[in-house]
Amino acid sequence: MQTLRVNGYDMAYLDVGSGVPLVCVHGSLCDFRNWGAVIGPLSQKHRVIAVSLRHFFPDRWDGIGDTYSIAQHVDDMIAFIEKLNAGPVNLMGHSRGGHICFRLAGRRGDLLRKLILAEPGGELDASLDPDYEPGPFVMLQHFTTAAEKIAAGDVDGGLGYFMDVLEGPGTWKRMPAMAKQLLRDNATTLIGQVKDKRPPFSKADVEAIKTPALFIGGANTKGLIPKVLLTLAANIAGSRTEMIPGATHPMFEQAPQKYSEIVLDFLGS
Amino acid sequence: MQTLRVNGYDMAYLEVGQGPPLVCVHGTLGDFRTWYSVLGPLSKKHRVIAVSLRHFYPEHWDGVGDDYRMAQHVADAIAFIEQVNPKPIDLMGHSRGAHISFRVAQQRPDLLRKLILAEPGGDLDASLDPSAPPSILTRMAEYSERVKAGDIDGTLRSFVDGVDGEGRWARLPAAAKQQLRDNAATLIGQVHEARKPFSKADAQQIRTPTLFIGGADTKGSLAVVHRVLAQHVAGSKTALIEGGRHWMFEQAPQDYCRAVEEFLAAG
Repeated sequence: MQTLRVNGYDMAYLDVGSGVPLVCVHGSLCDFRNWGAVIGPLSQKHRVIAVSLRHFFPDRWDGIGDTYSIAQHVDDMIAFIEKLNAGPVNLMGHSRGGHICFRLAGRRGDLLRKLILAEPGGELDASLDPDYEPGPFVMLQHFTTAAEKIAAGDVDGGLGYFMDVLEGPGTWKRMPAMAKQLLRDNATTLIGQVKDKRPPFSKADVEAIKTPALFIGGANTKGLIPKVLLTLAANIAGSRTEMIPGATHPMFEQAPQKYSEIVLDFLGS
Repeated sequence: MQTLRVNGYDMAYLEVGQGPPLVCVHGTLGDFRTWYSVLGPLSKKHRVIAVSLRHFYPEHWDGVGDDYRMAQHVADAIAFIEQVNPKPIDLMGHSRGAHISFRVAQQRPDLLRKLILAEPGGDLDASLDPSAPPSILTRMAEYSERVKAGDIDGTLRSFVDGVDGEGRWARLPAAAKQQLRDNAATLIGQVHEARKPFSKADAQQIRTPTLFIGGADTKGSLAVVHRVLAQHVAGSKTALIEGGRHWMFEQAPQDYCRAVEEFLAAG
């Protein structure tokens, strides 16, 4: 694959189309292939650059070391955009990748033209959510169990446990074989992820965002994710929000045409 | 994307992993993304090179021009492999891509170490099987006209259901449908591709060690063609993927990769 050297690491990326770059950042347990459903429509008008963050496939990480963190990945993305040397870029992130893009925009708005956050991952602190209770993330114990299984070599056991805790019993069993395989290819990143202590979003964080922002959600996504999205959107002046009917968290895979239309419209405006 | 210049065309490819090169050729309506589900396992021991043939995505082709031909794609694949080192390489094709790979092996066995043909597409001539069911090729003229008229999803439904069984398009994930849409215009060209049927002499000409892979649940022409060819390609092996149909590597990526790895590793 093509790579750029960032902070001592060769970061792989897929580069399709021409025009102002649209840099795309995948979420947990994914990689550059995450965007396969939308690179067709999006690359008709943009240079789509889909990265694989440090330690994700095509890397085969052993899970050892402390170089898997939001802070490291934000530093890597900043260095990547600088190395790209193509001027301010459009930046799009999904889930944990949305969190990374949010942090990047807070620190280095000068690198960005527009920002697209598809159901960014993270929590809200007390300045944004009056019900916030500091303490260990409730799912962390379950995720740690899953990571321990993976570290011990039981990849399918760990991923199955993780998916069923996250999305309900029987989820892993029902997943298409292809989706399972892409998770397997990135399974060891879960070992890093349970050690990654990402701070919650604060009001000051949100107010630091000056880049024109679009939030995209799935109208059927449940739980904390839509609450975080709507709260962030409400606190970023001039931001736009689009909820895709009938879709959940992987909304660009479920509704690639609608998703691409929303993104192209926002980037073209 | 990375590209190699072949016969005046910049041919895009995705390259992952290190080791001996394994060049992968997608079929009708596919592109380099066809192999996404098996990239992980296969790139552990090989440099996997997944090409996009002339006029497939990432090109956004309008269907105009007369260079969408079987002979052109075979010539392009040969020119591409000539630039890959070290040779000889391992070559894997799916469906129409396996037809292309078969023709490469006929013309340029010197370039190849091993050959993997996952349900090659095409017709069998009378020297192989006079009673074989007709392939989907008989419907290409209709598909071409319907795509030209703008009926993209309707045509793709007919194609997928025709290949893999009634109702299969409706059950495809939205992401898979979109990747087919990205290549819909190639159906306009494919009617003029001039693909010849396989003959017994063709099959007997293959000297490269060959593995045929089929989906155990594939029906119709595609289930027959690889079985008949296997009878006439000297020393060939066949692996059937349980529960698999025509896109067997997406339906059972681990079983598919096991079959490929075992074949490539054997002495």
